[in-house]
Amino acid sequence: MNRSLEDILFGAPTPRARTLSRGMSVVAAGVLLLLAAGIVWRFHAAGQLDARYWKFFAWPTTWAFLAKGLLGTLASAAMAAVIALSLGLVLLAGRLARTRLVRWPAVAAIEFLRGTPTLLLIYVCFLVLPSVGVKLGTYWMLTLPIGLSTAAVVAEVYRSGVLAVPRGQADAARSLGMTEIQVFFSIVFPQALRYIVPALVAQLVIVVKDTTFGYVVTYGELMQNARVLIANYHSLVPVYLIVAALYCLVNYAISRASRRLGRPMH
Amino acid sequence: MGEVAKLLADHGPAFGQALLLTWKLTALSFVPGVLLGLGVAMLRLFPLPPLRWVLTLYVETFRNIPSVALLIFIVFALPDLEFVIDYEPSVVLTLVLVCSAFTADYVRSGINTIPGGQIEAALSLGMRPARIIWSVVLPQALRSVVQPMTSLLIALMLSTSLASQVPFPGRELTTLVSKIATDSAAGMAAFAVAAAMYVATGLLIAWAGAALDRKLRILR
Repeated sequence: MNRSLEDILFGAPTPRARTLSRGMSVVAAGVLLLLAAGIVWRFHAAGQLDARYWKFFAWPTTWAFLAKGLLGTLASAAMAAVIALSLGLVLLAGRLARTRLVRWPAVAAIEFLRGTPTLLLIYVCFLVLPSVGVKLGTYWMLTLPIGLSTAAVVAEVYRSGVLAVPRGQADAARSLGMTEIQVFFSIVFPQALRYIVPALVAQLVIVVKDTTFGYVVTYGELMQNARVLIANYHSLVPVYLIVAALYCLVNYAISRASRRLGRPMH
Repeated sequence: MGEVAKLLADHGPAFGQALLLTWKLTALSFVPGVLLGLGVAMLRLFPLPPLRWVLTLYVETFRNIPSVALLIFIVFALPDLEFVIDYEPSVVLTLVLVCSAFTADYVRSGINTIPGGQIEAALSLGMRPARIIWSVVLPQALRSVVQPMTSLLIALMLSTSLASQVPFPGRELTTLVSKIATDSAAGMAAFAVAAAMYVATGLLIAWAGAALDRKLRILR
C-alpha cells in the first residue's frame, strides 16, 4: 500500500485537529478571496475593466489572429523539435564514439550549445550572421537556434536513457551476430526511449516557451501577434493576460500528456 | 584569435562587468526563489484545501508561463495597473517567481522519496506534524534535490539573458553582445567571448553541484 506523505501525516486527525484545520481552511479561503478581490479592485481602479479594453475579444477576427499566432508558435516549435530530436541523435553518436577524435568535438558542441542562452544564439542569427553574409528568414532565425540548443540537451537525455539500458541487452544482441548499428537501433535505443519519454516531453515545453522570443526577430508567433493587437487596440493588460493564459494552457496540456506517457509500462 | 584579442582590448572591462552582473542577477533571483519555493512546497503539505488549490495554481502557472511573457507583463502591463517596478527588480522578480515554482515542484519530488515508515515512526514518537515536516521531511527532501536544483541554477543563469529585453542601464552578457553586434563588426568575437563565459559559469555550477550531491545524497 502506498499512501501519500500528507495522508500519513494528517490522515488520522484528532477531533481537535480536525476542527483546527477546518477553521484554518476557512481563514485561508477568506484571505485568498480578499486577495482576489483586491486584484479585481486594482483592475477596476486603474480602469482596466473598461469595455473598450475587452470588447475586441468578442470579435472573431481577434481570435483568428491569435490562433494564427499560436499556429506560428507551434510550427516553429515542431520544426525545432524535429531538428533537436535528429541532431540530438547525431550528437549522441559522437558522444558515445570510441575514438577521441570524434568524441571530444561532440562533447564540446554539446557543452557549448547547452551552456549558452538560446536568446544569445537567436541574437547571433539575427544580428551577427547577416553581417558575415548569411541571411536567414525570420522563421529560421528563431527555429534554428532553439533547435540547436535543444539538440544538445536532447543528446544528453538520450545518453542517460542509453546508459540506463542493462549492458546484457547489447551483449546478448552482439552474441547473436548483430552489427553495432543493428544493436543500437533495434535493441538499445527503443528501450532507452521508454525511460526518457517524460524528459523529452518536458523539453518540448521548453521549446514552446523559447519560441516566445519570436518577437525579437519579428516572426509571427503568439507573442508577436499579441504585440500587434496591443498596438492596434492600446489594450496592454487584457491582451498579455490572455496570451499568458494561452501559453500556460498549451504547456500544461503538454506536461499532462507527458505525465500520462511517463507512467510505467508493464 | 586576433579579433578576440582586439575585442578584449576594447571591451575587456565591459565584459568583466557584464559577467558580474549576470552572476549578480542569478544569485539575487536564486536565493529568494529557492526560499519561496521551499515555503510553497511545505505549505502545500498542510490539509487546507483552499490553500493547496491556490498554491497548485501558482506552481503550474509559473512553471508553464514563458519567462519572457512574464517579464513583459511585469514591465509593460503592470504600470497600467498603477504598479510600477523598476527594470532590474522586474527581471529579478520574474526569475524569482519562475525559480520558486520549479523549486516547489522539485522539493515535492524530493519529499516523495522519503519512506512513509519514517513519518509513522515520528508520529508514534509523539511528534507534531509541523515538527515532523521541519525536522524529518525537510532535511531529507533538501538532500535529495541537489541535482535538479543544480540544473535549475544553470537554467536560471542562462535565463538572466532575459534582461536584454528591457532597457536597464547595466549590461549583462547578452545585452553587451547585442550592443557590440549592432555597433561594430566584432559580433562574432563578442559572441564567442560571452558564450565562453556562460559555458564556464555553467560548468563551474555543475561541478560544485556534483560535489555537493556526492556529499549529501542519501543512498536508498
